[in-house]
Amino acid sequence: MSAITKGDRSGSGSGREPLPGRPPGALGSGTGAGTGPWWRRGGRPAAPRRTLRWRARLRRDKALLLMTLPAVALLAVFGYAPMLGLVMAFQSYDLYEGFFHSPWVGLANFQQLFSDPGFWHAFTNTLVLFSVQLALFFPVPIALAILLDSLLSRRLRSFVQSVVTLPHFFSMVMVVTIFNEMLGGSGLLDTFLRSHGVRNPPSIMTDPATFKFLISGQLIWKEAGWSMIVFLAALAAISPSLYEAAAVDGAGWWSRLWHITLPGLKPITILLLILQLGYALTFGFEQMLIQLPAVGPGAGQVLTTFSYENGIVNGDFSYGAAAGLFLGVTSVILILAANKVAHLFGEAGLYRK
Amino acid sequence: MTADRAGFPMNRRSFLGAAAATAGAAAAAPLLAACGTSAPAAPGAASASQLAKIMPAYVPSTLIKPDFASVDGSEPGYLNYPTSLVHSVSGIPGDGGSYSAITPLWASIPSPSGNTYYAAVNKALGASLSMQPANGDTYSTILPPLFSGNKLPDWIQIPTFWTAPLNFGQATTARLADLTPYLAGDKIKKYPNLAAIFPAAWQAGIWNDKIYGIPVFASQFATAYYLYYRADIFDKLGIGTPKVTSINDLYDLGKEINNPAKKQWAFDDIWGYLYQPFGITTTWTTNAKGDLITQWETPEIIEAMVWEAKLVKAGMMNPDSIAGDTGTATQRFYSGEMLISATGQGAWDGSDAVSGTAADKDYVRMAFPFFTASGTGRPSAALANGTSWLSYLNNNLSPGQIEELLRIANYLAAPFGSYEYTLINFGVPSTDYTMTGNGPVLTATGNKQVATTYSFLAGPNSVDNNPGWPEVTRASSVFAQQNAKYAYKPLFYDLNVSVPASLTSANAMTPFSGTTPVQYEVVRGRSTVADYQSTVRQWLNSGGGNALKKFYESVRAKYGDV
Repeated sequence: MSAITKGDRSGSGSGREPLPGRPPGALGSGTGAGTGPWWRRGGRPAAPRRTLRWRARLRRDKALLLMTLPAVALLAVFGYAPMLGLVMAFQSYDLYEGFFHSPWVGLANFQQLFSDPGFWHAFTNTLVLFSVQLALFFPVPIALAILLDSLLSRRLRSFVQSVVTLPHFFSMVMVVTIFNEMLGGSGLLDTFLRSHGVRNPPSIMTDPATFKFLISGQLIWKEAGWSMIVFLAALAAISPSLYEAAAVDGAGWWSRLWHITLPGLKPITILLLILQLGYALTFGFEQMLIQLPAVGPGAGQVLTTFSYENGIVNGDFSYGAAAGLFLGVTSVILILAANKVAHLFGEAGLYRK
Repeated sequence: MTADRAGFPMNRRSFLGAAAATAGAAAAAPLLAACGTSAPAAPGAASASQLAKIMPAYVPSTLIKPDFASVDGSEPGYLNYPTSLVHSVSGIPGDGGSYSAITPLWASIPSPSGNTYYAAVNKALGASLSMQPANGDTYSTILPPLFSGNKLPDWIQIPTFWTAPLNFGQATTARLADLTPYLAGDKIKKYPNLAAIFPAAWQAGIWNDKIYGIPVFASQFATAYYLYYRADIFDKLGIGTPKVTSINDLYDLGKEINNPAKKQWAFDDIWGYLYQPFGITTTWTTNAKGDLITQWETPEIIEAMVWEAKLVKAGMMNPDSIAGDTGTATQRFYSGEMLISATGQGAWDGSDAVSGTAADKDYVRMAFPFFTASGTGRPSAALANGTSWLSYLNNNLSPGQIEELLRIANYLAAPFGSYEYTLINFGVPSTDYTMTGNGPVLTATGNKQVATTYSFLAGPNSVDNNPGWPEVTRASSVFAQQNAKYAYKPLFYDLNVSVPASLTSANAMTPFSGTTPVQYEVVRGRSTVADYQSTVRQWLNSGGGNALKKFYESVRAKYGDV
């Protein structure tokens, strides 16, 4: 996408533009009406050439673009249209006056937000919980994929894959319930310990101190198998000849992993990492909301639950919207920053520069 | 199926949860309904004399003599259901109009197509009411869009505990029909069944000096919580009828019955009930000097917190209760995983006995009589509003339509045991219910079709009757007769106050409401009393608490202490 803008700005093809200096007619759709051979159009002024080029691109990508239309429509209706409601963050929104008549208050909601210790607590807590969860969760699907990939029996492989993928289809409510049945205060573990004379068994589900590990555990159980699929696909894409060549050169299991497998997974890993960062501030809303009463806001309050509590539960819609807007903007910044870092490391990231 | 008790779905605790408990449950919320900019000038409450002018006349009527008479306002109890049904309304109330109605429902939503129950009731009403029951658990979240998008149905049930986020003082003027011209004073006598509803319940529907709400499940003895215990297990443990006359007695009793090794804990989270023994009123009260203070500033609330924190620390509270899991609280009580629990009055009924005995055949629910924490002095329990359930008409309706709907409301408010009451609550004989010696019992079809729908639009005063479970009626009626004398009307009882826009967020009392309010944290040992006190100070000084207090002082000056 940035390629187009860049090309447009410079007026002529820059070095990084795809197919520099070559007119679009040469891209394969040159037989279409209105596109003459490129050498006849060589001397045209810049502006019409640019539109032509754009049109030609459109024609070339027609099928692909058509295929994206439903998704774009969906995004417009459910993603972008509701975003207009964010104006309430700058209003003192009143249910009966609506967007058009509610009084404007400028940045008052944000001033209140930034001076609210509850908000900053939720903010830092979000970052801490997210970092811990990311650090603990992210390596697991990769390890799982490598492990599974090394299994030779196809049947065993697909069996294991089904087992570890299944929890993805459970809702978070169910996951938390299962954890509670196992590890909760009246769950299997504690009941067993109590009946064997342990007076105060550990309260894993309600201990605020270990909450970050608990939620990471829940996420790993639920999503590790599912996330593994992408890595399995990436592993399959690594050419076996590389391994063969390495083996011939005397590389052991470890150095094959280090020099072939992991580098092969690098682009997809970085892509997923960036996407994850985009969710950093909005992560785990359901998971947190369900477990908030168990561990209290000290450990469990995150930005999304903060916004929900203020906006929906307490009916302070403007305040909740302000928190939500802050969250959205910060997420975008995080994604862009992460992408930039990826480019610095020479990776493709979300999009090519 | 007896939905005829005040505040009956209060055992649907999953929604209200600890948040409601903090505010004396449903009781406090209606007082706090806020009002936006276009509302009448503050203070937004009527004076007592103004109220007297618009209050509907009260013409009590008793169709059937109860087995347990009302004592000090307790609900009359009926052991049996009358077998010969008397008509209380003559003629057909409707003019053939078509109306839509939305009500909350905590059960599976009946299918409207081919629903013979809806058809039969609509035929009897002489109008076509299209009933749209909506999931009760998420009901509060569908209300704001209905109001802001001006998509309200013609008739809607809005429980008082969900009015606060709607700026209800403004909602009424902007969207709902003013019923004052039809019902004030003697005008209500045109609708005798409506006139028989307690004035306290009508008052709960008055906003900005006008009548808006039509009360349902009215009661003169509505308190937020009872403290229940498993009488059958107490018997098995050799305790029998427990004697609890102080909070220490309760603690000692808990110690005696607590047995975690056998998966049997003494207590659920009983925070909501502790307001009774510790003498904490609903939101507003006065201190020794006579100045207005909030419940959060009283020393009693700290005593209650410290006491319950002691329970948690001693391991007497069920771990799932500590974890704030209110959704399965009823099951835990049924399975005997906790023996003492605090729930609404409505939990003590026939359907509870059905579910309870299904889980444990010996299941018996009983309640502790009111007591004081210190063990001395007279117990007291703050009354909740005359009702927590009110329905409203849309202000787009013409006067003729409003009158038609009020006649229909009059039909729906037919007293217990009447032909109309039976039709509305049990449907069509032989299709939806069969009349047994114990009263009407729903058939399989009835269970599918008959839900609390019409009965959320209008209804008579609550009575205590549980077809098939006379012993439940006996126990709960006798309990109410003996304990109703301790009920008192707290400050601003039954008064809807419209708060100016600038105080809306202060009025939400955010630190003390929501999923995990500060007192909830103190009980669980995650915050200290000092944390609590500093939160209170902070809320008063920078959270708008003091300004709110000033506003309520002005309301008090105008309205007077009840």
